[in-house]
Amino acid sequence: MNTARFIARRLLQVLPVVLAIAAMNFLLLQLAPGDAADILAGQMGHASPELVEQMRRDFGLDRPIYQQFFIYLGKLLSLNLGTSNIQQRPVTDLIMERLPATVLLMTTATVVAVALGVLLGVAAARRSGRWLDSVISVLALVVYATPAFWLGLMLIVLFSVYFDLLPSGGMMTIGSGKTGLTLALDIARHLVLPATTLGLFYVAIYARLMRASMLEVYNLDFITTARAKGLTEGRIAWTHAFRNALLPVVTLAGVQFGHLLGGSILVETVFAWPGLGRLVFDALLQRDLNLLLGILFVSSVVVILANLIVDLTYGFLDPRIVHK
Amino acid sequence: MRRVKMRLVWATAFALAIGVTAAQAQQPKRGGTLTYTFHPEPVAISTIATTAVPVALAATKVYESLLEYEGPGLEPKPGLAESWTVSPDRLTYTFRLRDGVKWHDGKPFTSEDVKFSIESIVRPFHSRGRTYFGEVTAIETPDPRTVVFKLKTPVPYFLKAFQAGESPIMPRHGFTEDEISGNRIRQAKIMQQPIGTGPFKLKEWQRGSHIIFERNPDYWKAGRPYLDQLVLRVLPDGAARAIAVEKGEVDLAPMSALPPAEMQRLSKLPNLVSSEQGSEALGPLMWLEINMREKPLSDVRVRQAISMAIDREKLVDVIWYGNGKPSRGPIVSGNPVHFDKTLKPFEYNVQKANRLLDEAGYPRAAGNVRFKLTQNFLPYGEEWVRQAEYIRQELGKIGIQVETQSVDMGGWLRRIYTDWNYDFTSNFTHNYVDPTIGAQRAFTSDNIRKGASFSNSMDYRNPRVDELFNKAAALDDGPERNQAWKELQAILREEMPVIFLIEIGYTNIWNKRVHGLLTNGISMYSGWDGVWVE
Repeated sequence: MNTARFIARRLLQVLPVVLAIAAMNFLLLQLAPGDAADILAGQMGHASPELVEQMRRDFGLDRPIYQQFFIYLGKLLSLNLGTSNIQQRPVTDLIMERLPATVLLMTTATVVAVALGVLLGVAAARRSGRWLDSVISVLALVVYATPAFWLGLMLIVLFSVYFDLLPSGGMMTIGSGKTGLTLALDIARHLVLPATTLGLFYVAIYARLMRASMLEVYNLDFITTARAKGLTEGRIAWTHAFRNALLPVVTLAGVQFGHLLGGSILVETVFAWPGLGRLVFDALLQRDLNLLLGILFVSSVVVILANLIVDLTYGFLDPRIVHK
Repeated sequence: MRRVKMRLVWATAFALAIGVTAAQAQQPKRGGTLTYTFHPEPVAISTIATTAVPVALAATKVYESLLEYEGPGLEPKPGLAESWTVSPDRLTYTFRLRDGVKWHDGKPFTSEDVKFSIESIVRPFHSRGRTYFGEVTAIETPDPRTVVFKLKTPVPYFLKAFQAGESPIMPRHGFTEDEISGNRIRQAKIMQQPIGTGPFKLKEWQRGSHIIFERNPDYWKAGRPYLDQLVLRVLPDGAARAIAVEKGEVDLAPMSALPPAEMQRLSKLPNLVSSEQGSEALGPLMWLEINMREKPLSDVRVRQAISMAIDREKLVDVIWYGNGKPSRGPIVSGNPVHFDKTLKPFEYNVQKANRLLDEAGYPRAAGNVRFKLTQNFLPYGEEWVRQAEYIRQELGKIGIQVETQSVDMGGWLRRIYTDWNYDFTSNFTHNYVDPTIGAQRAFTSDNIRKGASFSNSMDYRNPRVDELFNKAAALDDGPERNQAWKELQAILREEMPVIFLIEIGYTNIWNKRVHGLLTNGISMYSGWDGVWVE
C-alpha cells in the first residue's frame, strides 16, 4: 500500500520535472547557430533566400522564440511531438521505428554487463590481493580504457572479416523474408558483436564497482560475526555480503540507463544498428529541432522511469529501506 | 597507370552502353541483386524534398524525366519522350511522349503529369527548378501524348534539364488536393512512398537499416531492367562501409561513399574497380571562398599570394589520397565543351607570394607575421580538417597567421551566407552540366544576396563578369559562347574572388561482378536499367 502511494507520488513529481527538462532543452537548442531551413538550403546546393524563408515559415521557425516555445509546450501537453523539419514525418513515428532496436541492444548489453561484471567483481573481491584479483582488475581497466568504436571495428575485423562467423553490421539479413524463430535467431546473430562491444565497456565498470563494494561490506561487523559463527566463505559471500554490496551496482545501472541514447551512438554507428543513438546524432547536426526535442523528451521520461524502478529495487534488496 | 586503367573501364562501359560488342565484353545477364551503400540515409525518395546526394542516388532509380543522356557532356536521347522538336527561334519545345507508359501503381502516364510536375512541383520546389524553367511562360498539353514548352527567351541548356534527378516527372494523382493547395508538397506521402515510371519501384524501407527496390515488371524498355533488386544498405561508419565492400557484402560504394584513405586502399584490391569517371556533368569543384569586403583580402595581390602559397599537387596526394586533381579555374577540366584547354595549372611559388605581399604593403612585423586571418572549413569530415591544417601551415610560411574555426553545417551556412562573417573558408560546389547553372551563381553581382546558400558570399563585383555570364546564358553552345567562357575563365583566374584549389573526384568503387554502371556524365544519377551482375 505504501509502495503504491510512493509510486503515485513519484509519478506526480515527474510532470514538472519533464516540463522543466523540455523547457531547458528547447532553450539550449536555440543557442546553436543556424536552423533546419539553413541545413535544407545547404543540402539543396542552391536555394534562393525566398525558398529558405518559405521553409522557415512552413516550419514555424520565423515566429518569436517565446511563441515557438509556447506552441511547443501546448503540443507536448497533448503528447504531440510534432513533425520533423528535415524528414517531414511525425516525430513519434521516427522515434517508434528506432526505439525497439535501441532498447534491445541496451537491454542485452546491460544484462550481460551486470551479470558478468557482478560475477567478476565478486570473484576479484573474494581473492583480493591475489593473482586472480589482479588479472580481473587489470583487464577491467584495459577494456574500460578502450574506445568502443575501435573495439567494435576490431571485433568486426576478427569475427566478420577474418573468421567470417558473424555479420559485420545491420540488425537482420536484408530481404531474407525470415519470420518467427528464424528471424529471432537472425537478429540474435546480428546482436552478438554490438552487444558485446557495448557490454564489455560496462562489464569493466560493474566489475570494479562490485569489487570495491564487496570489499567494503567484508569489513563490516556482521561479516565478522558470520565468520565467527563458522559459516563457509561461499555462504558469507553470496548470502550475506552479496545483496548488500549490490546496492551501488543497482544505482549505477539506473543511471547508466540514461546513457540509453548517448552511450550507444558510437556502437550503433560502427555496427549500422538502426537505433535511436544515430537518429539523435543526425538530428543534432541537421538542427532538426522537433525531432531532437522529441528524442530528448522520450529519453528523459525513460531515465525518470528507470530511476523509479531503481528506488523500488532498493526496498527489495534492503528491507530496511521503506518508501514513505 | 591507374588513370589509364580507368579510361579502359570507361571505354568498355561506353561500348557496352551504345551497343558495340567489344570482343571481350560479356552478354548482360538478367536477375540478381545489386547492393550499394551510402551515408547518410535519404530523408525521402524524391529530389523535390532535397537534392542531397543520398536522395538523388535513390530517387533516380524510381523516377524518370522526359529525356535520357549519353556521354560525359550529356547528349539528349529519348526517354519518357520518344521524340522532340525545337522551333527555329528556340522558344518552343515540343515533346512527343511515349505510348503505354504506366506509373508504378498501374495508372497511365500522360502529358498532364508532365505539365503538373514542371509547373507545380519542379519549378517551385526543386532547388534548381527556377534556373531551368524560370523562362517558361506556358506549358501546353494539346493531347495526352504531346507537351509544348513556351519560353520567354532562349535557354542554352534547356534540353539538358530533363534529367531524372533535376526534373523528375511525378504523377498528378500521387498528390492529394490538400497537399497541393496547402503547400505541403515536401510533406506529401509520395515523398516517402514513391510512385514513378522508372525501372525500379520501392519494395521495403527499414529506416536506419536498408531500402529495397524491386524490378518494375511493366517498365517501358523491353527486357529491362536486368537486375531483380537494388538494395541500399545504410552503414553510418566509414570503416564499416569499406569492410562491407571489401568483403563483398556490398557491391558498390558510389559518389565517394568511402573515406579517401579507404578508397585508396580498396582501389588496389583485385576484386574491385575504382573510377572517378561518370560524374563529368556534375563538375565538382573545391575552392577557398574569400570575403573581399575588407582589407587585406580586398587586395588582389594578397589573394594571388595565398593562391601561390598552396601546393595543389600535394593537397591532392597527401590530404585527399590522390582523389581528384588540381583545379584550373571556375570550369572543371572534365567539361568537354566549356573548359578552356589552354589554361595552365596555377603557380606554386612561395617566394613570389612573399614578394606580392611585400608589394601590397604588408611587411613582416613581430613574430614574422604580416597579418592575421580567420579560417573556416566545410564540416564534411576529417579530410577537410586536415586540409585546413595544411593551409594554415602553408600560409604561416608567407607570414599570414591563420586561426581555424570549427563549426558544424548549420553554423557554417549561417556564418558564410547569412552573416558574411568570415575571412576565408573551404567550399565545395558543382558546375553541373552547364556553367550557367553552376558557376554563374557564385560570381555575378546579382547573386550577392544574404541568406542565399552557395551564392556570391565574397562580395565580388565585376561588371564585365556580369555581362559575360549574362551573354553566355542566352547563347547556344558555339564559338561565340565559348569565347565568353574563355574570357570569364581568364578574368576569374586573374582576380581570384575564390582560390580555385582542386577538382575533387567523385570516386565510385564497385565489385567486378557488376557491369554497365558508367553510361554518362551523371552515371550514378541514372536509372541503372542497363546494370547487371554476374
